[in-house]
Amino acid sequence: MAVIGVGRFIQQRQDFEDQIARSYQVEMAARVQIAEGEDSAATRAVVSDQVERREQLQDDISSGTRDTAILVAAGLIAGLTGALLLFSGLIASLRRPLEDLVDASARLAGGDLSTRVEVGGLSETAALGRAFNEMADQLEKDAAEREQLDRLKDEFVLTASHELRSPLTSVQGFAELLMLEKERLGPKQVETVEIILDNCRHLGRLLNDLLDLARSDAGRLALRREPTELAPLIDDVVRTMRAQTDAANQALTEQIEPNLPPVYVEPGRIRQILVNLITNAHEYSPERASVQVSARVVGTDVEISVSDDGPGIPEPQLEHIFDRFVRGDAGLTQRVGGTGLGLAISKSLVELHGGTIRAESAVGVGSTFSIRLPVSPSEAAVAPSPATAEPS
Amino acid sequence: MPRVLVADDSETILLLMRTRLELAGYEVETAADGQEVTELVAGTGPPDLLLLDAMMPRKSGIDALRELRAAGVETPALIVSAHQSPDDADAANDVEIDGYVTKPIDFDALLEQVAALTR
Repeated sequence: MAVIGVGRFIQQRQDFEDQIARSYQVEMAARVQIAEGEDSAATRAVVSDQVERREQLQDDISSGTRDTAILVAAGLIAGLTGALLLFSGLIASLRRPLEDLVDASARLAGGDLSTRVEVGGLSETAALGRAFNEMADQLEKDAAEREQLDRLKDEFVLTASHELRSPLTSVQGFAELLMLEKERLGPKQVETVEIILDNCRHLGRLLNDLLDLARSDAGRLALRREPTELAPLIDDVVRTMRAQTDAANQALTEQIEPNLPPVYVEPGRIRQILVNLITNAHEYSPERASVQVSARVVGTDVEISVSDDGPGIPEPQLEHIFDRFVRGDAGLTQRVGGTGLGLAISKSLVELHGGTIRAESAVGVGSTFSIRLPVSPSEAAVAPSPATAEPS
Repeated sequence: MPRVLVADDSETILLLMRTRLELAGYEVETAADGQEVTELVAGTGPPDLLLLDAMMPRKSGIDALRELRAAGVETPALIVSAHQSPDDADAANDVEIDGYVTKPIDFDALLEQVAALTR
């Protein structure tokens, strides 16, 4: 419509200009006649007629331009409205399938790999829907394969850690037999057998740790929880560990808040975590270092922390400190007897109890490892709550 | 001299067990699997203690013990296992045992248990 308007306008404008040009020609011809002496009233009338005619033409052009402008504007508005209507129709038909896709993507990302969308609507959204479903199929297949591989890995580690126990029993057992006749061995031989035994014990720890991790991964690490008083447990672990810290002239102290509420845990596992944390603090700290074990209530949790004033852990290592087989500074690990699995196991054990573990460290200042265990009111109520807290 | 019947499918473990037990003053008989255990008990009569590996080919220690208990043999029994707790694969929930020994074997602890059960 606007285009037709503009076309007609150009056509009209052309006509007007032709007429104006002709009017000038007529006027000029009349003026030439006047200049040549044919100055008559009729000729002068021609000139003034032409001037008037051109004024009239100019007016016509102006009004024509205004009309055309209105026509063009109206055409544009009509065009835009049409386009808008078309677009909103298009958007409406895109919206439902796209909203479905957004919902489905959120569900898929949330872990529901069985999510699929209904394929339909415009060919583009239908194609998008089909692509989404294919992606979901692939993800589901990959996840199933990964689960299968994980299961095989867990089975393998479980079996391997069992199968290795018999040969380990033999090596350790025969080395112990040699030590039963210690007096008949030379000092070099005794030292050799002691090295064998040390390594057997290390291998034993490694097998236990691997087994714990594999069982935890396979969801086969069942906790035998009971209402547990932490103060005597911590006290007992600290007493046991003191032999080692004393040998390194390290000060092992404890600071336990009185009246800690009982927690619902497997005591042996909490003991295992504490032994791990205190052993790390002891082994990675130099002689005469201090190691402090503290326990306090934080909100609805009990927090147990093991702090040392040892060398600290640099930031890049700290980030991966709970990963498997990640150990402190290589220079130190030579004399450190751990398996590199202690913190990974501690983490999975704490999490199995519904708690959290974290590490804070500053190089040259020391490290603190803290675990938080929830005090569940309903479960704690099961506990025979003692009238007085056991002194630590 | 108390008589101990030891069963394990590893000859090395059997040799080790025999040596440690004989050094501690026990008379030791050995079997390579559960089948041999039941045959030996049928042949020479029940020993003073059974020390059986949980997992052995042909017949496991637990299956052998179940048969012996069914036949009225009351001999105390220790089950040796590579598993860390009786909750694991070779659980012996349905048969009465007097102790559970895990590998690698702590012989000092084992000899104490054996002494207590053969006293």
